[in-house]
Amino acid sequence: MISVFSLSSFSLSMSADEKDYKERLIATVKKEVKQVMEESVTRKFVHEESGSVTSLCGAVENCLSQGLRRRALGLFKTSSTTALLHKIAKHCAEADRISKKVQEIENVDPNRRSSSSSDSVTKPTLKKNLSFPTSPLPRYLWIRLALFDKQLSKIIDYLVSNAPKYYDKDALVADPDYGTILSSLLVGPCALDYSRTKSVEQFWTDPPADELVQRHRISSGHSTPPSVRRPILNFRRSLNTSSEDTFVSRSTTQHLAKDYVESLHQNSRAALLFGKNNVLVMPAKDDVTEPMPGYLSLHQTPSGLTIKWTPNQLMNGFTEESQDKSIYWDYALQVRLDDIVYVHCHQDSEAGGTIILVGQDGVQRPPIRFPKGGHMLAFLSCLETGLLPRGRLDPPLWSQRCGANSTTKRRRPLPALSETEEATKDYVFRIIDNSDHKHLLKRNDLMDIKASLPTKVRVQLCSTSTSSESSSKSLSIDQQIVPDSPPNVCIQAVCDSMKKQIISRAFYGWLAYCRHLSTVRTHLSGLVNSKIIHGENASQGITLEKWQELCVNGVVTDYAEVYRLTYFGGIFHDLRVEIWPYLLGHYKFGSTNEQRKELDEETKQAYENTMSEWLAVEAIVRQRDKEDQAHAIAKLSSESMSGEQVPNEIQRDLSNEVFEDIVTDDEESESEDEKESNQRNKKPRKTKQNTIKYDSDTEDGEKQEPVDQSNEELNNGHSAEKCDVQDNENENIDGTVNNCLDGENLTCELQIHGSIDVEIDNREELKDFIHNVIVTNASVDISNLENECPIRNHLDAVTEENNSSLDTCIETHGLASPARSACVSPASSNGGVYSQELLKTFGLNLHRIEKDVQRCDRNYWYFAGENLDKLRNVMCTYVWEHLDIGYMQGMCDLVAPLLVTFDDESLTYACFCHLMERMIENFPNGNAMDCHFANMRSLIQILDAEMYEQMHAHGDYTHFYFCYRWFLLDFKRELVYPDVFTTWEVIWAAQQVASSHFVLFLALALLETYRDIILSNGMDFTDIIKFFNEMAERHDAAAVLKLARELVLQLQLLIENK
Amino acid sequence: MASRKKILLKVVILGESSVGKTSLMNQYVNRKFSNQYKATIGADFLTKEVTIDDRTVTMQIWDTAGQERFQSLGVAFYRGADCCVLVFDVTAPSTFKSLDSWRDEFLIQASPRDPENFPFVLLGNKDDLEPRAISAKRAQQWCQNKNNMPYFETSAKSGSNVEQAFLAIAKNALAQQNSTVDLYNEFPDQIKLTNTQKPSGSGDSCSC
Ligand SMILES: Nc1nc2c(ncn2[C@@H]2O[C@H](COP(=O)(O)OP(=O)(O)OP(=O)(O)O)[C@@H](O)[C@H]2O)c(=O)[nH]1
Ligand SMILES: [Mg+2]
Repeated sequence: MISVFSLSSFSLSMSADEKDYKERLIATVKKEVKQVMEESVTRKFVHEESGSVTSLCGAVENCLSQGLRRRALGLFKTSSTTALLHKIAKHCAEADRISKKVQEIENVDPNRRSSSSSDSVTKPTLKKNLSFPTSPLPRYLWIRLALFDKQLSKIIDYLVSNAPKYYDKDALVADPDYGTILSSLLVGPCALDYSRTKSVEQFWTDPPADELVQRHRISSGHSTPPSVRRPILNFRRSLNTSSEDTFVSRSTTQHLAKDYVESLHQNSRAALLFGKNNVLVMPAKDDVTEPMPGYLSLHQTPSGLTIKWTPNQLMNGFTEESQDKSIYWDYALQVRLDDIVYVHCHQDSEAGGTIILVGQDGVQRPPIRFPKGGHMLAFLSCLETGLLPRGRLDPPLWSQRCGANSTTKRRRPLPALSETEEATKDYVFRIIDNSDHKHLLKRNDLMDIKASLPTKVRVQLCSTSTSSESSSKSLSIDQQIVPDSPPNVCIQAVCDSMKKQIISRAFYGWLAYCRHLSTVRTHLSGLVNSKIIHGENASQGITLEKWQELCVNGVVTDYAEVYRLTYFGGIFHDLRVEIWPYLLGHYKFGSTNEQRKELDEETKQAYENTMSEWLAVEAIVRQRDKEDQAHAIAKLSSESMSGEQVPNEIQRDLSNEVFEDIVTDDEESESEDEKESNQRNKKPRKTKQNTIKYDSDTEDGEKQEPVDQSNEELNNGHSAEKCDVQDNENENIDGTVNNCLDGENLTCELQIHGSIDVEIDNREELKDFIHNVIVTNASVDISNLENECPIRNHLDAVTEENNSSLDTCIETHGLASPARSACVSPASSNGGVYSQELLKTFGLNLHRIEKDVQRCDRNYWYFAGENLDKLRNVMCTYVWEHLDIGYMQGMCDLVAPLLVTFDDESLTYACFCHLMERMIENFPNGNAMDCHFANMRSLIQILDAEMYEQMHAHGDYTHFYFCYRWFLLDFKRELVYPDVFTTWEVIWAAQQVASSHFVLFLALALLETYRDIILSNGMDFTDIIKFFNEMAERHDAAAVLKLARELVLQLQLLIENK
Repeated sequence: MASRKKILLKVVILGESSVGKTSLMNQYVNRKFSNQYKATIGADFLTKEVTIDDRTVTMQIWDTAGQERFQSLGVAFYRGADCCVLVFDVTAPSTFKSLDSWRDEFLIQASPRDPENFPFVLLGNKDDLEPRAISAKRAQQWCQNKNNMPYFETSAKSGSNVEQAFLAIAKNALAQQNSTVDLYNEFPDQIKLTNTQKPSGSGDSCSC
């Protein structure tokens, strides 16, 4: 009554919503009915287990449970329509009939009572027999039965006409319209015949031929009953024969064999994840002396994974009729993965490898031996994917992705750190099942194990020892003990034996767990230095006084102390300029003042040389950009004005910046140009048609204008560029374009004469090999600014392959070194030869760099003004020298703190190169990120077991993507500038003092800092990403660093005590 | 009364670097434009409650890094999306050209159930800037070939059309969710065999 009242009171406001909801409920039923009816037409019958039947039943269930007066009916506990059915059975004959059937089925296996029909699937099912567990009851059992029995619409009719008794006023069933619609909708499906006769095309549109053959062979030849009972079949059979008998009779055995073998294949209830024949297993039977070959398969059902192994004798069908195969049913293996905690892998370079599954009770299953050819790894990775999202393997098989070499990949499915060890190795993986999480207890009374036991072991201990609660886990133990005991046996004895068993099993479980932990430990030992260095008197870090002590006459020899002090206390800010280059490996410890000065000088020289190189290229890129812009706009206007065909050139170089596709049209037009230019090479060229694309639609006389424009534009920019042609020299070296480079921060005096020499060489070559390369000849002449000739970037063709000298000059992307600057290349500032490819690549990078530089730390004082240009220069220089790597987002963030500290481009550049040696691996294409994630996982497991277990409540945590930015930028975005400085130097020093993976401990420390928030709020993947994004630049860096150092020490001690 | 699930719509914003994804998201959710946004690294999301046809839904808008190389990260973030927003910069032709690749990549990585009908919405951003390089006509033409993808010209800076665009995005996402997630059918989809793992268990086939 109360519920009716309260409902109606707000039904006014809710009515629109309510109606909408009912509408949708009915619509769903309609849709499902249509589906079922269609299926019956197209397939001539509907299978009982068809997905559409399940959906229909689900839809009906939803209609029937809406507005059910649970309280009034005493159904408030169950929320079940099954209870309603039993309730109306007294008054409604049809309901009575179905109600009886439901009870019958439930009585077959009392442990599978489906008082709530809708959740029967998710309940853990009790295993009576390890090798053949029962399948779960179908969902929506009574509705299903009523449908198959053609009673459903009648039962619903009854409910509709008696609705006030069972339903709220505004329930769907009580609604005069919807109620009748519902029951009449179901009249159709209730007229159908449902079958459980298997036919091949039922579930599959296209089963593979060999599977069909096999199915047929098996189902046609077999006549011996399998040794196991499968209660689920009884229910089905009783439906067909309406017999009361619940035992397997001979007539059904054929079905059983057939069902079993069919279950090995993909079907509606289970997906086949892995299948491999000729896998050897030694069945635990007395009469078997040798391992037998069989078919190993991994199946996924809604309730979990199952591993099956079937002897070949059964798989091969029944061609040798004389033989009695029944015995082989005993050998078949069926293991539910829910029961398995550990997977021992024995890798063997000779054979394919062996897997032993260990149950939560510590009992080992028969070894499964794989044939050669990576099948074990294949199996493990299928297993790993199959476990997701509810569970997973631990440690993960991640090094697969880390493995760089594809040939060795296969051999190393296991943690990368073990790569240092021999290939033949045992591993113990744990299967982690997140769904058990809620059973977790914090304390374990039976044994005082400091490191926590795996969840499952604990669950078992707790449930058995505490009570007679019929948790399925405890029952599984009880049942094995109790049946043997005579009823009058002393309770004490039973208890004792139980206790013994529990303890021994717990012990085995614990043992397996310890082995697993040792695998993890070995895996982690590479993360920290084994030597523990203490931080006495180091908390102040490197102060001015300390530095004076360390730096004797400008020479620093005690590098260990520098590292130690830095690690434990950081560096006084003003000293960073001096000390950072040491930490990053730019300055050598022990070097003198003079040596370092020299190095500085060299670095500067090299930097400036490199810079002048790319500045020349930048000029060309800018020019092209202008053209492209003009073309795009021209196209836009022509498009809007007349819609006429856009000239071909306009499309030129509207290249796809991201995905770098090649426009073939261009190549054609260019090669034409090349021919022309080829001819013109012989005479002096003042104007060249093919030089600049926009020339094509303007008169010769107007050519100068756009160039001037571009010059203006360039002058506005950071690097002014003035171009002209030196006529005198160009008489013999025609086509030379002279670029003046006049940067704000440096002035490049370019060697005109050197360039001429090089030019002449090139000219010789150009005459011989002509192909698709742009030659721009740059030299300096400011005085000739007014000269009439415009820039002439002419397309001259040089065959790269035939010209080794050009090749080398174009492809000098190696690491920057002082030596590099000594070599004068034609591609240098002296003017040069650039391939189209090079121009394109560099142009692309240039744009990306600019976009990011503009957005880099605009709110930090240092970058408020011109310093952004310095950042850009450093970035471009790096990318120019590493064009194969190219610019990647995030690099700017890594340059910025260095630049802020040094305020010197060349030093920043040199140190950045050193920094990138480590950081580059974090970027896409590197493999460090995956390794970081995997290591994080293992670290958390060892150092914070509670967090680890909690995290598994959310399978998504396994991604650890919330750490992505942390690792990519060494926490640069997470902290404010002063903290970034300290954190970075600690990371660099840590390598020598404590751990070369210090970032992991920083990450862990960040997590630990907020662990209570994370745990108490049950944050999931998305929550935590959001949380840390919002927390950026708000962390207490000093505390986090301190914690990180402590965590390193903790792990060092743990490994020491191993 | 059966409880109704809270509706969460997951929206993923894609497009080349610097087209204004982060700015658009912040303009929509926080109604402000800032010059201080940094290039996005990794991924971030904001949520916003919207009311569509009297139903309140939560939009979870994911913003990822624009550089193509970082797309490998996408898998983790694309999955389960209800709508994908493609953004280009109307003043930068290359950002328009790459749209196809973004769309394809999304479909591959997110592998929605019904890729043909998965909802995309196209935004031409920086509407306030001159000179334009991509006309509305050209963008619309592109959309026509893509299942009549809705197209909006927006400005994250001025905020113009942002609200309308995201409302359309929300509607599309909701429609998508209603059509594919059958609330009552919890029977899992069949998982198709991958080509390498054929259940060819018969003994007469070769052993490897
Ligand atoms: N004039 C104008 N500028 C905009 C608009 N939207 C974004 N911007 C600017 O364009 C630049 C890039 O914007 P972001 O939002 O950071 O671009 P993004 O797409 O998130 O870039 P990534 O994070 O690198 O993928 C910033 O400098 C913005 O200020 C707009 O509508 N009009
Ligand atoms: Mg962004």
